Amino acid sequence: MNAIEYFEVECPEPLGAEYYKQIANDVLLDHNLLRVINKLHIFIDPKVPVFVAVGTLKRITTIVRVRDLANVNPQEGKMTLVVSDETYLASMLKIFWERFGKEKVEQPDRFTVILYDIPTSAQEIEEIVVADPSESLFKDLIYAFRCISPEGFRLKSERFSTEKFSFVASENTLAEDIDALVREKFALMGETP
Amino acid sequence: MTLVPVTYKGGIYQHDIVIDLIEDLGGYVVQKHVLAQEVVLQCFVPKDDIELIREISRPLFGEVTDSPLVGTEIAVVSMSLEIHHLPHPSCDIAEYVRRLGAKSNMVSLARGPGKRIAGLNDEERDVINEHDIAVYLLGNFETCIEYKMPTLMRGIEVPIVLCGGPDIEVLKKIVDPPVDGYVGNVGRFMRRTKEADQLDKLDEIVAEITRVLEKKRDSIAKDPLSVSPARLMGLIREKIPAILDVTSPTPLTVQMAGLRVKLPYDTYAAELRKVEIEDGILLGDVAEILPSRMRDYILVRILPFSETNTVV
Repeated sequence: MNAIEYFEVECPEPLGAEYYKQIANDVLLDHNLLRVINKLHIFIDPKVPVFVAVGTLKRITTIVRVRDLANVNPQEGKMTLVVSDETYLASMLKIFWERFGKEKVEQPDRFTVILYDIPTSAQEIEEIVVADPSESLFKDLIYAFRCISPEGFRLKSERFSTEKFSFVASENTLAEDIDALVREKFALMGETP
Repeated sequence: MTLVPVTYKGGIYQHDIVIDLIEDLGGYVVQKHVLAQEVVLQCFVPKDDIELIREISRPLFGEVTDSPLVGTEIAVVSMSLEIHHLPHPSCDIAEYVRRLGAKSNMVSLARGPGKRIAGLNDEERDVINEHDIAVYLLGNFETCIEYKMPTLMRGIEVPIVLCGGPDIEVLKKIVDPPVDGYVGNVGRFMRRTKEADQLDKLDEIVAEITRVLEKKRDSIAKDPLSVSPARLMGLIREKIPAILDVTSPTPLTVQMAGLRVKLPYDTYAAELRKVEIEDGILLGDVAEILPSRMRDYILVRILPFSETNTVV
């Protein structure tokens, strides 16, 4: 796993900043999001109060295919798949059922799937796309930042694009010049929003 | 005779010998847990007889340890029930004090989080006041703690131990009016407390709770209670059999100066008042029987000697 290129927490209270760095690290690690974030700058001012998180994302090209989670063994009249990772098993079975019909797909135990009399080669089976983790990426990121930001900060403004994101939260109405603050924090990382 | 709180851990085989011994010596078993082949007894025993209990339980592989929190009910006040505060650190702390014999309840505030928006309603205030001590778990910023603490303390009459992110000196400086205990560097965090330094922090919280409770115990000792809560527990169990059918883990919760009886107030309050303690002295004479704000339970507040002129 590549580490984050830039990760800073800025706060008028140094101890608070240290704790929030730990919280951000724990949450992102728990949600397996450190691999998608390239740069991250968090600014918290409890006096205002405001919480700002800005950052850039890495390009994610990891599409999960059948070959990533199972070994395909072609045999006479059938194909046996030995599953090594169960995470995407349900969505894989669903795809098989839709493509070949339920009568041709059998799962005798947790880690074995057998396909009977299918007109497809083993290579083609291996290339079938099972899942695209980037689909739920923004949902996961927004959830993670909601966990990181202080709970009382319920008024939020979130902007997520494929490359950059900003997340602003406060318990008061957000000021109109909040974009200037976001721009300023991006500039600290050498980026523009 | 000074009764001290201890925990007995031992095998289930012949543990009734230990229970009989404790009762014969004039002690009380406050809680009994049977876990597979093991029994854990939380009890009050006479200080001079601890060695005797140790000696008699030695062939049964029993272990007697000090448990300063036995017989206390602690409110762990969490700012909310959201993922931000649960399960870490609120549950970690509530569970840790439970291990040392306390009965801990988690009180979560409806509008606890935030700075300006934080508040405490009357139900929360009354529920916290029904406990022996309140442990407030606050966040990481001194600005927020300084701002919201006066609001969260309003109307709280029980001692407060404040846990927060800033250092202990800072906490002492910013909280006005001062509270009874402080533990610094325990704010909001989102990882399990399992490393040695984190467990040390939990021990520090327990030490602070114990210190504050000792102070409370001393002040109670100056004007002793008319009857011991642990004795009352045995008595109620004997006289009101309905308590035996309550499925709650602690149908009778012993507090430092009272008891929580987990029976409906309307049905059982009158019966409870009429329970005879000794020589015609009724429970209603030496204690207030009040409706609890926690569900429809009954709260028994034992009156001190100065008010009743009786000690039984």
